[in-house]
Amino acid sequence: MNSKIQKKNSRKKWIIAGIAVAVVVMAIVCIFIGSSNMTLAEGFQALFGKGTDAAVRIIQNIRIPRVLAAIIAGAGLSSSGLIMQTNLNNSMASPSTLGVSNAAVFGANLSIIVFSGGFLSTGNNPQNMAAGANPFATSLMAFIFSVASILLILGLCKVRTFSPGVVVLAGIAIGAIWTAATTILQFYATDVGLSAAVIWNFGDLGRATYKTDLIMLVVVVIGIVYFQLMAWKYNAILAGDAAAKSVGVNVERLRFISLLLASIITAVCVSFLGVIGFVGIICPHIAKRILGAQHSYSLPATALLGSLLLLAADTLSRSIGSGSALPVGAITSLIGAPFFVAIIFSKKEGSAC
Amino acid sequence: MLKIEDLTFRYKKNGKNVLDGVSLELKAGEIGIVLGRNGSGKTTLFSNLLGINKPLSGKMLFQGEDLGAMSPQKRAEIIAYVPQHIHFGQLSVFDAVLMSRVSSFGTRAGKEDMDIVEEILSEMGLEEYADRNAEELSGGEKQKIAIARAMAQRPDLLVLDEPTGNLDLANEQLIISEAKKLSAAKGISILSSLHDLNQAMDMGDRFFLMKDGKIKYTGGTEVFTPEIIKDIFDVDVHIVEVDGKKIILAGKEFG
Repeated sequence: MNSKIQKKNSRKKWIIAGIAVAVVVMAIVCIFIGSSNMTLAEGFQALFGKGTDAAVRIIQNIRIPRVLAAIIAGAGLSSSGLIMQTNLNNSMASPSTLGVSNAAVFGANLSIIVFSGGFLSTGNNPQNMAAGANPFATSLMAFIFSVASILLILGLCKVRTFSPGVVVLAGIAIGAIWTAATTILQFYATDVGLSAAVIWNFGDLGRATYKTDLIMLVVVVIGIVYFQLMAWKYNAILAGDAAAKSVGVNVERLRFISLLLASIITAVCVSFLGVIGFVGIICPHIAKRILGAQHSYSLPATALLGSLLLLAADTLSRSIGSGSALPVGAITSLIGAPFFVAIIFSKKEGSAC
Repeated sequence: MLKIEDLTFRYKKNGKNVLDGVSLELKAGEIGIVLGRNGSGKTTLFSNLLGINKPLSGKMLFQGEDLGAMSPQKRAEIIAYVPQHIHFGQLSVFDAVLMSRVSSFGTRAGKEDMDIVEEILSEMGLEEYADRNAEELSGGEKQKIAIARAMAQRPDLLVLDEPTGNLDLANEQLIISEAKKLSAAKGISILSSLHDLNQAMDMGDRFFLMKDGKIKYTGGTEVFTPEIIKDIFDVDVHIVEVDGKKIILAGKEFG
């Protein structure tokens, strides 16, 4: 029997390795595909700083940071999604179940509409710097508001009760407040401010720079390492709070730290890139479907699938939008949602997500 | 071995005491059955014993050691639990059982843990289920797996909350005989709640009859008299003896 289990486990490891290889291949494809008419050879040379200035700039300053952002944010958002689903015992939970995205959108809109009349926080955009606007201002505002929202919800829940249902409901309620506040802001905005704000809301990997990638990387790595170390405790939580406590897991503390970390990962990604929906819901489900619910395997698979999906969506968004890329957030939902529906309907009776 | 003294607990600060001075004693290897109406405090008593809830006052001692002062990990090595509602969250049977050893292995299950799981599954005749999705099995199988999960903790005390709650007659018998077998073979004590009084007499050595957050009667099968049952359950019963075995008949026609 043990050998059967071992065989299954080693098969799971190979599948994870396979997804990792797919991520690497997709990343390479993503670097060399774009709207500029660069040949593969030119692109390859530019990777090592050779060739025309324009080619080097496109590859090194635009595409590589973008590809890294897709890998990091994809892994971060999807891992957060899985952690939310497990800890809130809710298969519909997403990285922004605590209202993180809504809060980030409000913060960014506030910065764009009220404080600077419509600048975008793209670190890639030197004109903004020249105009005296700090490219990080909008991201910073988005981040401050999302963290405030997280602390508000977790704080409220800690004072009263920390049951998953309460956390989800509090998240929905607080999220609705941020959305309402955003609507009011947008109502009073100028046309320029409004369009800049709306464009910010679309997730866009083009905003990434090496600096923002590094910040995201640090947060995402800390989160994923913690999640991986807690994998068996999450398996215990699957059995219900009472069972998890009876095997010695401090459920309240684990849930608090996990939700906090997952939300901070989301806050950082959304603050730098805008709202990228659905990655965080579908990737955990696909991973669980392929590898089962055991977190030691479903966690790395979820992270890698997130990277893969975001890379694929970004490549697609840059290929079909002639000249300028379509918002990647729309693409992830557009290709993700039908896939998701197919998975749900192909499930056997009685096996909840 | 297990000694609970004057335990009180309430869910809401100014609410009513759900446990109102519970005291009980269970010897090593004994099977104790807690009986009482819904809401009498059985599950709450268990949740306090397991550290799921913290008692307001009172003492819980296991072999002289204070359970209340123990770390959750240490407590998990002594007491294992089979809750009333069983979930496995789509884990395979093997992983669902292995999960209960998390306090001893921490972040990664070692060979020793796997061996323990394998041993328990084969002892309980569950090895063929090892790689099945635990959630997709029948009620009786799930109950057995939940017991295997608890046994993998290598506990000294096994706490079962309504272990026969949703089972058919055959599975009820199976679970009760399984529990008795485990207790006898490993010398572990069992504290279980049950609803069926005849089942209780069949399974238990010692009985704790609860009412309004207190244990009102304790003892062997002699504790089951029509008067006491009337007091606890508010039901008139008739007790007959067949081959020296007490059988409790409930219902109007027997009252």
